[in-house]
Amino acid sequence: MKKYWFIINMQIMSNLQYIFNIIFGFIGYFIMLFILFNLWQYLYSDPSELINGYSLLQMTWYVVITEILWSTLSGSKFCKKICNDVKSGNITYNINKPYSYIGYSLSTHLGDISVRLLVYTILGMLTGLLFLGSFPSLSLVSVLIVILTSIMALVIQTLFMIAIGLLSFFIEDANPFYWVYSKVILVLGTIFPIEYFPGILQTILRFSPVYVVSYGPAKLFVDFSWDAAFSIILAQIIYFVIAYLLCFAIYRKGVKRINVNGG
Amino acid sequence: MLTAVNGVKNQMRVTRLSIRYAVMREMLNKFTFLSNVLFMILNNACMIVQWVVLYSINDDIGGYTFKQMLLLWGLSASIYGFAHFLFEKAFHLSDTINTGKLDAFLVQPKNVLLQTISSDTKISSLGDLLFGFIMYFIHGFTIESFLLFIFFTASGGLILTAISIILNSLSFWLNKSDMIAEVGNSLMINFSTYPDGIFKGITRILLFTLIPVGIANYIPIHVMTDFNIYLFFINIGVTLLFMLFAFLIFYQGLKKYSSSNLMSARI
Repeated sequence: MKKYWFIINMQIMSNLQYIFNIIFGFIGYFIMLFILFNLWQYLYSDPSELINGYSLLQMTWYVVITEILWSTLSGSKFCKKICNDVKSGNITYNINKPYSYIGYSLSTHLGDISVRLLVYTILGMLTGLLFLGSFPSLSLVSVLIVILTSIMALVIQTLFMIAIGLLSFFIEDANPFYWVYSKVILVLGTIFPIEYFPGILQTILRFSPVYVVSYGPAKLFVDFSWDAAFSIILAQIIYFVIAYLLCFAIYRKGVKRINVNGG
Repeated sequence: MLTAVNGVKNQMRVTRLSIRYAVMREMLNKFTFLSNVLFMILNNACMIVQWVVLYSINDDIGGYTFKQMLLLWGLSASIYGFAHFLFEKAFHLSDTINTGKLDAFLVQPKNVLLQTISSDTKISSLGDLLFGFIMYFIHGFTIESFLLFIFFTASGGLILTAISIILNSLSFWLNKSDMIAEVGNSLMINFSTYPDGIFKGITRILLFTLIPVGIANYIPIHVMTDFNIYLFFINIGVTLLFMLFAFLIFYQGLKKYSSSNLMSARI
């Protein structure tokens, strides 16, 4: 475990050298939030009106949190990196090292996104405050639980991306699978809470990754309850195990197909 | 005069060949080619869910009906597809300039900018282009609107490419200008998929001036819905202006370019 902490620390130190790039990258997040803020302001003719149980304040904060998780992740780049590791054969340099490739990739990515998560959270909160003028009511404990579930959401997302990237062992380019996966998460849990969908779909979504990687932390931020917190944390633990086993199974099967030709 | 016409013809032929070879290179693996195109169509189609949900709340969003929104979404996708399929390198021009890869294009007896930007393609953007036309047909077909849709796809694609060339060309003067180009492209893409009626005040002014999403995307929708000759000519005029500006900035910057003696092979 110590070696993975070392990798995470190393990546954090490396990313701190490029803090300006991270702050500049926040502009993309700001643009998206600005558009969605305008959209919701247009749809809510009266700010106190409730649409599917959400007020304008709750709806906008929901999007602030889900967009922080979404933008921090940089999923497309990471998935492309895993695909390229497999396609180019770079993965062979990691196989003979005293760590697991999955653990290494997970730690590298978590290290990479840590600084961004911190910067985006601070700037995202300030942006939300600038647009709305107030926070939803939260206690210190609920804030801590939101932070914990957000970190778990990013870990699970990273594992799913590793799993998709590792599909490159079997098909040349697994990136298209990531596009569809990411759009499903974006549409069904990032832009809207799951209460916006019809009853049957809501039930399905509560058992899907959308519930743990996007909806869960944001829902707790805008409308905290202990029941929801327990159910989200339990679902995250189950999904963490599933995602890890999925990565492990794909890696084990795929790694047998590697041919090393020297060079 | 005849020599000039022949020169343009010759340049167009070389550009066409350059695009053709870039596409052929990407088509070497048929499965990857097809999966890239099909999954991009599917990827875009997922976003329709967003509008189905929003239109279940309100019948009119920013002055757009659901069908008009599909048309806007389709036009944005086809504009993106057009620009990235034909001129992908325009979106990575900064890297080409910074790493000295422009050398290879400078020694060719053809237009440097056209040769450079048409030397690469993004296969998944073919999926965007097809998706755009699928959305158009769902919206409704008439010969006039179909011709307008093709025309606006091309003019919007040229505006998008021109903006990318202008912003990426800043690399001739500035370090890290790729980040500025990225922000510019992200502004163009993100705003283009939301109706203009939801934006007010200064944002709305910016969308029809500095960030010309209004000219490339919103005006075409208004023209296709209710034809207006003035708006049509504004679209043509601004497109030509941006193209001219892109050429001027690039060639002005090219004077400052110094070779890095990079040894590389273009395959």
